[in-house]
Amino acid sequence: MDNILPSYLILGAILFCIGLYGALSKRSAIVVLISIELMLNACNLNFIAFSKYGPVPSLTGQIFSLFNITVAAAEVAVGVAILIALFKNKGTSNVEEMDSMRY
Amino acid sequence: MLDNLPILSMIIFSPLLGILILMFIPKEQGRWIKIVGISTAFIPLILAAFLYVDFDHQSEDTLQYTENVEWMSVPLNQDSEILNGLSSYTIQFNYIVGADALSLVLILLTALVSAMAALASIHIKKRWKTYYILFLFLMVGMLGVFSARDLFLFFVFFEVTLVPMFFLVGIWGFKEREGAATKFLIYNGIGSALMIVAFLILVTTAGFTLIQPDPQQLHATYTSGLDQIMANLSDPAALVNAGAELQIGTVIENPFFLSDTMRWFIFILLLIAFGIKLPIFPFHTWMLKVHVEAPPAVVMIHSGILLKMGAYGLIRYGVMLFPEQAKEWAIILAILGAINIIYGAVLAFRQTDFRLVLAYSSISHMGIVLFGIAAFNVIGMEGAIFQMVSHGLISALMFLIVGSLYERTGTMELSALGGLAKSVPFISGILLVAGLASLGLPGLSGFVSEFLAFIGLFDTMPIITVVGTLGIILAAVYVLRAVLKITFGPIAAPYENMKDARLVEVIPMVTLLAFIVLLGVYPSVLSDPLKHTVDQLIQNIAGRIGG
Amino acid sequence: MESTYSQLAWIIPISPLIAFLILLSVGRQLKQYGGYLAVLASLVSFTISVLIFIERTGNEMQNYTWNDWEWLSVDTVTLTMGFEINNLNTLMLLIVSFVSLLVNLYSIGYMKDDDRINVYFSYIALFTFSMLGLVITENIVQLYIFWELVGVCSFLLVGFWYFKPEAKAAAKKAFIVTRIGDVGLFIAILILFWYMPDHSLSFSAISNAFEQKAIEPGIVTLIAILIFIGAMGKSGQFPLHTWLPDAMEGPTPISALIHAATMVAAGVYLVARTFPIFEASATAMTVVAIVGAFTALFAATIGVAQNDIKRVLAYSTVSQLGYMMLALGVGALSAGMFHLFTHAFFKALLFLAAGSVIHAVHKQNMHEMGGLGVKMKITAWTFAIGALALSGIFPFAGFWSKDAILTEALHQNVWYFIVGLTAAFFTAFYMSRLFFLVFAGKSRTDHKGHEPHESPAVMTIPLIVLAVLAIGAGFVFTPFNPWFGEWLTGTAEEHTNWTVIILSNLVGLLGIGLGYLMYIRGTIARDVISSRAPGLSRLVANKYYMDELYQMIIITPLKGLGYVLRLFDYYVIDGAVRLSASSALYVGRLGARMQNGQLQAYGLASLIGIVLLMIIFVGRRFWNVG
Repeated sequence: MDNILPSYLILGAILFCIGLYGALSKRSAIVVLISIELMLNACNLNFIAFSKYGPVPSLTGQIFSLFNITVAAAEVAVGVAILIALFKNKGTSNVEEMDSMRY
Repeated sequence: MLDNLPILSMIIFSPLLGILILMFIPKEQGRWIKIVGISTAFIPLILAAFLYVDFDHQSEDTLQYTENVEWMSVPLNQDSEILNGLSSYTIQFNYIVGADALSLVLILLTALVSAMAALASIHIKKRWKTYYILFLFLMVGMLGVFSARDLFLFFVFFEVTLVPMFFLVGIWGFKEREGAATKFLIYNGIGSALMIVAFLILVTTAGFTLIQPDPQQLHATYTSGLDQIMANLSDPAALVNAGAELQIGTVIENPFFLSDTMRWFIFILLLIAFGIKLPIFPFHTWMLKVHVEAPPAVVMIHSGILLKMGAYGLIRYGVMLFPEQAKEWAIILAILGAINIIYGAVLAFRQTDFRLVLAYSSISHMGIVLFGIAAFNVIGMEGAIFQMVSHGLISALMFLIVGSLYERTGTMELSALGGLAKSVPFISGILLVAGLASLGLPGLSGFVSEFLAFIGLFDTMPIITVVGTLGIILAAVYVLRAVLKITFGPIAAPYENMKDARLVEVIPMVTLLAFIVLLGVYPSVLSDPLKHTVDQLIQNIAGRIGG
Repeated sequence: MESTYSQLAWIIPISPLIAFLILLSVGRQLKQYGGYLAVLASLVSFTISVLIFIERTGNEMQNYTWNDWEWLSVDTVTLTMGFEINNLNTLMLLIVSFVSLLVNLYSIGYMKDDDRINVYFSYIALFTFSMLGLVITENIVQLYIFWELVGVCSFLLVGFWYFKPEAKAAAKKAFIVTRIGDVGLFIAILILFWYMPDHSLSFSAISNAFEQKAIEPGIVTLIAILIFIGAMGKSGQFPLHTWLPDAMEGPTPISALIHAATMVAAGVYLVARTFPIFEASATAMTVVAIVGAFTALFAATIGVAQNDIKRVLAYSTVSQLGYMMLALGVGALSAGMFHLFTHAFFKALLFLAAGSVIHAVHKQNMHEMGGLGVKMKITAWTFAIGALALSGIFPFAGFWSKDAILTEALHQNVWYFIVGLTAAFFTAFYMSRLFFLVFAGKSRTDHKGHEPHESPAVMTIPLIVLAVLAIGAGFVFTPFNPWFGEWLTGTAEEHTNWTVIILSNLVGLLGIGLGYLMYIRGTIARDVISSRAPGLSRLVANKYYMDELYQMIIITPLKGLGYVLRLFDYYVIDGAVRLSASSALYVGRLGARMQNGQLQAYGLASLIGIVLLMIIFVGRRFWNVG
C-alpha cells in the first residue's frame, strides 16, 4: 500500500498517450476534441495522485484539477461551437480539409 | 569666420533644409520643386568650397573641423567582481565628424557631382517631388560617409545611401529597373552585413577603453570612435594587443584580445564589404545593371561617388586599421587591381550598349585605385586618391552626356548610333574630350592618377605594373571604339535634326570638364592639400608595421 | 653669354595655344578670319624661333633652362614644368614653327570651301602648341605629356572629315598604334623614375647619370629599347608603321605638317634628346640601326607598288624616317638630325604640291592623272625639285643629308650601307614613277569640263619657299663645310667619301632612269614584275600583309578573348550571383511548403521536437556527456 503512486502515474501516462495519438491522427474533429479531453483528464489524474501520495501532499493539486475541469468544459463548448460553424460552412468535420491557413 | 560654426554638420545636413521646404510644395508645382531641389543641392557645394579655402593645408594636424557630440550612452550591468570596481561601464556612441584632406577632397567631389547631377535631373519625367526628396536624402548619406570619424556613424550614413538609391533606381529607371534596384540592394546589403559584423567585433574589442581621470575613478567604455580605435590598435599596451590571457589577480581570458586570425578575419570581411562597393572583381556584376537601368543623373552619383565610398572605406577602415594584413596582402590587392584593369577593359571592348562600356571602364579604372593602394607608398596613395577624384568627375561627365544623348536619341545601343558630331557637335565634342580623359590623355585628370599609381606600384611590383599598363592601350581601344562609333561616321537619318545642348546642359558639362582640365593641367590644386594627410597616413602605416 | 631671346622662348608654344583658345571659343564668329589668326600665331612663334636661332648661331651660348613651375609635388619628389633652349631644339623650333606657318598659309587656300575651317585651324593651332611644347620641354614627363597631345591632335586631324568611315578608322588606328609605342615610353619613364638619382627626370640629369654610367647596363638597355619603342610608334618604324599610310585620310596640309615634317620626326627627336641613354648601350644602338635600316628598305619597296599619290609619299616618309633612325643607330646624331631638317622641307613640299594636285583634280589615284605638268607649272616644277631632293641627287638638300648618313653607315657596317643604298634606289624609282604618272604624258581621265588649273597664290607661295629650301638647305652641312654638325653637337665627324657620293648619285639616277624607261618611253613594260612574279608583286602591293597580320595575331584574339570573357562574366560570375539568389529563394519555397495548414502535422512536429529534447536532456544524465 505504501507505493501506490506509480500505478496512478502509469495510468495517467497511458491515458495521455492514447489522447495524444488520437489528437494527432484522428480525422474527425469530434474525436480529436474527445482525445484532447482524454489528455486533460490524464493531467487531472496526475494532479490528484500527487496531491494525495506525492512527497508534499496538499490540496492545491485537487483545486487545480477542479480548475482544469472547468477550463476543459469551456474549451469543449467553444471548440464544438467552432466545429458547428465550420460544418455549416464547409459541410465536413474532417480536420484534414481544414487547411485554409496553409501557405 | 568658420571657427565656431559646425561647418561639416552644416554641409552634411544642409540638404535636409531642401527636403523640409519640398514637403510643403504641392507636387503639381514641378517648376518650383526643381528650383528648390537644384538650389539646395548647391548649398553643400558652396559650403565645401569655403571649407577647401579655409582648410589649413600646412597644418601638421591633419584632422580638422572635428565635432564630437555624445549621442548614445548605454550603461551596462556591473554585477561582477571585476566590474563593480569601475566608476562607470558603458557603451558609448558619439557623433564624431571631422575632415582631413582625403575627406575634404571627397566631400568637395560629392558636392560638385551631386550639384551637377541635380541639374542633370531635369531629364526626369515624373514625380519630381519624391525624386528630389530622395536625391537630397542621398546627398546627406554620401556627405556623411566621407565626414564620419566613427564606425557606427559611418555605417549609418553608409546605409542611408542605400535606401534612396534603391528607390531612385527602382522608380525612375528604365525597363528592368526593379530587378536592378533589388540586385543593388541585396548585394550591397550583404556588403553592409559583413561590414557591421567587422565593426561590432572591433567595437567590443579594440573599442574597449579605460579612462582614468583621477586615481579614484576608472571609466570603462566601449567606443566606436575611429580615432580611439585606431589609437588602441596601434598602442602596444592596449588590451586589444595584450595577449590572450590577462593577469588580474588570477589569470583570466582576455576578452578584448584580437588574435592574428581574428584580425585577418576582420580585414577580409572589410575587404569584401568595400570590395563589393568598389567593385573588385568578381563582385562587380551588380553595378552593371545599375549602370544600364538607373536614370543617367542617378548613375552620375552612383558611378561618380558611391563607388568611391568603397575605395574610401578600404583606405580608411581596411588599410588604416589593419596595415599589417593589408601590407601582407599588397600583392593580392595588386593582382586584383590588374585583373580589374584588364578584365574591365577587355569586356568594355565587347559591349554593345554604351552604358555598359562605361560600366566596365569603371571597373577597369577602379583597378588603378587598387594599384595605388597596393603600392603602400605616398606616390601610390596619392595616385589612388587622384584616381578616385578623377574617375568621379569623368564618369559623372560621361553619364551627363549619356543623359543628354538618350533624351535625344532614345537609345544607347552603339549599333544604332553614329555620326552625331554632325547634328550635335557640342555634345559630341564634350564626349570626345571625356573619352580622351578616360583613356588617360595627359593634360586631363586621368593621366595624373594613372601616372602616380603606376609609378607608386612600380617600385615594389614592376611586373604587375607592366601588366597593368596594357590597360592603357586597351583603354584607348575601347574608348575610341565606343566614342567614335557614336560621334564619327555617316549620320543616321533619324538623328539629323537633333538640337544641340541647351544652356542647362552646357553648364554642368563645362563645369565638370573645367575641373577635369584643371586637375590635368595643374594637379597641385589637389596634391598640395593632400600632401600632409597622405604623408601621415603612410607614416602611420609604416609605424604600425615597423612597431 | 646671357641669352636675351631664349628667355622669351615660352611665347613660342603659348602663342598658338592662345590662338587655339580663341578659335575654340569664338571660332564660329570669326568666319574666314580664323585662318589669319592661326597664321599670325605661328608667325609670332616663327619670329621668336628665328631670333633665338640667330642669337645662338652667332655666339657660343649656354643652354638656357627655366623650370620653376611646380607641376606636381608628391612625397619628396617635385615634378616641375619648364623649358630648355639648346641647339638641338632650337633647330626643331625653327623647323616646326616654319612648316606650321607655311601650312597654315597654304590651308587658307586649300580648305576655304570647308565650313568647319575654323575647327580645322584650331586643331592645327593646338597641334603646333603641343609640338613646340614637346620640342622645348626640359624633362621627360613633360615630353610625354606633349607627346600624347601631338598624338591626339594627329588623331583629331586625321579624323577631321569624321563622316568618312575611312577617316574614322584611320584616326582610330593612328591613335591606338602610336599608343602601343607610347606605353613603351611610359614604362621607360617608370623605370627612370626609380633608377635616376633623386628621381630627377630632367634631360640634363639623365645625360649626366648615363654619361657617368650610374645605372646598371641591363637596365640601361631596357630603358633605351623602351624609349625606342615609343619612338617607333610615333615615327612609324617597322612594325608600328601601319598607321602612317592610313593617316593620309586627313586633309593634305595635315599630312605635310604632321605626318611628314614634324610629329613623325618626334620619334627621331626623342632618340636624339635622350641620346646619352642610347650611347650607354651598344645593344640598343644596334637595335635602333637595324630597325631603321630595315624600315628604310621595307617601306621603300612598298612605295613602289602604291597607286594613291599620298600613300606613296607616306611610305616614302616611313622610309626616310628609317634613314634617320639608322643614322642615330650608327651614332651619327648630327647626320640624323640633318636629314630630319632637310626632309622636313622637301617632304612638306612634296605633300603640299600633291595637295595642290588633289585640289585641282579631286582625285588621289595616280593612274587617273597625267599631263598635269602643262596645266600646273609651279606645282610641277616645285614637285620635281622635291622629288629630286628626296631621291638624293646632287646638289639638292636630300643629297647632302643622305650622303652624310650613308657615309656614317659605311663607316660602321657595310651592310647598313648596302641596305641604305638599295632603299635609295627604290626611293628614286618610285618618285620618278610618281612624277611621270602625274605630270607627264596625257591626261588619262575626262575632267568633265572642270579643267584642272594652277592653285591660288596663297598655296603656291609656300611651295616656292619650300622649293628654295629643298635646293639650298643642304649646304649648311657638307663634307666641305661641316658648320651645322659642329653647331649641333659640338664635334664634327663628317668624313668625305667620294665612293659614297658617286655611288649614291649613281643609284639615284639609275632609279630615275628606270622610271623614265618604264613610264615615259615604255621601253620596259610596266608589268614586268607583276607578270613574271605575281606573288611578289601582290605581296608588295598588299604592304606585305602587315594589316592582315595584325588582324590575325592581335585583333582577332582580343575579340575572341572579349567574347569568352563576356560569356564568363555572364554565366560564371553573374551566374554564381544568380545561383546564390535563386538557391535562397528555393530554400524559402521549401520552408514555405511545410506550412501545409494541417494542425495535426504541426502538432506531430512539436511532439517530435519535445521527444528529441527529452532524449537529449535525459540522455545527458545517463551517458554523462558534457
